[in-house]
Amino acid sequence: MIVYAASGDTWGIPGPTFLRLYLVATAVTVALAVFHRVRLAAGSVDAPAGPLGPQQVAYLNGGPRLAVHAALGGLRGSGAIGVGPDRRLVTTGPTPSGLTPLDQAIHWAAHQRARATDLPQDRRVREALDQLQAGLEQRGLLRSRAQYDTARRWAGFVFALLGLGVFRLVSGLFNDRPVGYLMLVLIPVLVAALLLRRVPRRTRAGRAALRDVRRQHTHLAPASSPAFATYGAAGAAMGVALYGTVSLWALDPGFAEQAEIQRQAASGSGWSGSSGGASGDGGGSSCSGGSSCGGGGGCGGGGCGG
Amino acid sequence: MTGPYGVGIGWRPEIAGFVAELPGLRFVEVVAESVPATGPLPPGLAQLRERAVTVVPHGVRLSLGGAEPVEPARVAHLAAVAQRVDAPLVSEHIAFVRAGGLEAGHLLPLPRSREAVDAVCANVARAQADLPVPIALEPIAALVDWPDDELDEADFLTEILDRTGALLLLDVANLHANARNRGTDPLALLDRLPLDRVGYVHVAGGAEHSGFYHDTHTDPVPPAVLELVGALCARRRPPALLLERDGDYPPAAQLRAELDALAAAANFPPVT
Repeated sequence: MIVYAASGDTWGIPGPTFLRLYLVATAVTVALAVFHRVRLAAGSVDAPAGPLGPQQVAYLNGGPRLAVHAALGGLRGSGAIGVGPDRRLVTTGPTPSGLTPLDQAIHWAAHQRARATDLPQDRRVREALDQLQAGLEQRGLLRSRAQYDTARRWAGFVFALLGLGVFRLVSGLFNDRPVGYLMLVLIPVLVAALLLRRVPRRTRAGRAALRDVRRQHTHLAPASSPAFATYGAAGAAMGVALYGTVSLWALDPGFAEQAEIQRQAASGSGWSGSSGGASGDGGGSSCSGGSSCGGGGGCGGGGCGG
Repeated sequence: MTGPYGVGIGWRPEIAGFVAELPGLRFVEVVAESVPATGPLPPGLAQLRERAVTVVPHGVRLSLGGAEPVEPARVAHLAAVAQRVDAPLVSEHIAFVRAGGLEAGHLLPLPRSREAVDAVCANVARAQADLPVPIALEPIAALVDWPDDELDEADFLTEILDRTGALLLLDVANLHANARNRGTDPLALLDRLPLDRVGYVHVAGGAEHSGFYHDTHTDPVPPAVLELVGALCARRRPPALLLERDGDYPPAAQLRAELDALAAAANFPPVT
């Protein structure tokens, strides 16, 4: 009798035993996944501090494309670049001093009559963006590619366990075995898996830093129609960094239109896509360029994350 | 809740970030109608209050010069804003902005008649009854005089101030504009105004167009206006001067230079 009863168990493992083992395995995996996330999210503490520049803020807020737009805002605000009737950028006047590497790369590209929309593909611009990204990773504000992959791998393990549980559930149903408890267990596992799958590029420190900067610059919000002439080039760059290209349009609608810069607001909640600048054209351009990305839903789940 | 002192600037959302970074600033003015009576204060304004910067609400829609009684709801709003920012005083214009239910959309000058004085005084008294703090009254610029003026500018103002006990918000740019456009002497008017009643002073920029000086608030303060500030201070220095800039905002350095020039003209400490 006992043997028969046991043989009736799905996969020959009694329900309670499977549940116990399954609970332990998922708990340990989820714990490790959370541990890896938190440990990675903490970032390195000994990184150089100091206030974030507009381009760093822009990269943090909206990725490489927004960093380029912030630099364009700064350069336009200082009158260093313009746009020709052929919609290609031009340099105007002498090169201003105190330019960042990204400014210099864009200024050079403008000198070569590049189009604003092609800037993220420009070699020197891409190098400057990679540099910007590396700096943010060093400060623990952005996850590196490796950290991102590790976090995603652990999420993958939780998904594998979820799959195992679902398989057992289906088998149990076909076997006419009671599956109520398993079903109850699978719900939190599903929730955990979905939560862990979302790996934002920004770390906790990155989000906090961005929040701080935004709090200090509420006067640049488009609702205040900020006087960019008064705030100068740095104000224009920060306005774009925090609030998107709407600020560039407010600064100089003629330039923005002629240079074919899409008007969009940066929601700041969503840039969680791929490695952006580092892997070149991977997810960076498709993710941060389109307006669909702002909300976070479109790209956040990893749709552009690969 | 100290009275306005020194050089201040009109707080506008567009330049809130600039105003927030003036280290010596002790006084700003805010358009009362732009501040909500409830809910959060505009963030920049709240920060200034934390720094104990005096905020004076400046009304523009009360229509104290209107023939009909001032609307209680508008006075209530002004009173509420004054309380919210802990203002030592509020200010409004001696002008009307609506008549017979029609909104003019901007400030219109009154004829300087005894009837007008009565109407203004009645409205100021109504407002004073509901305001928690004193009110300062600002005469406005006018390109022309009404044909039936019974009083001159100084008598008209003195009469209103005497009867209401209100303070005077003197606009030096208006003074310059009126004198320039009518060919009168601004210093002669200064000598006849009750300068001891000045709560604070407005200074703004303007520009000449086709022979007339326009008090635009979007141009730099011309030297003639600064000279008039000096002449006023030589007679009796007002407690505070406020730079009004309402648009076409210049680079920060230029705006700082204007504030410095104002401080220098009145011998106040620089705020920049």
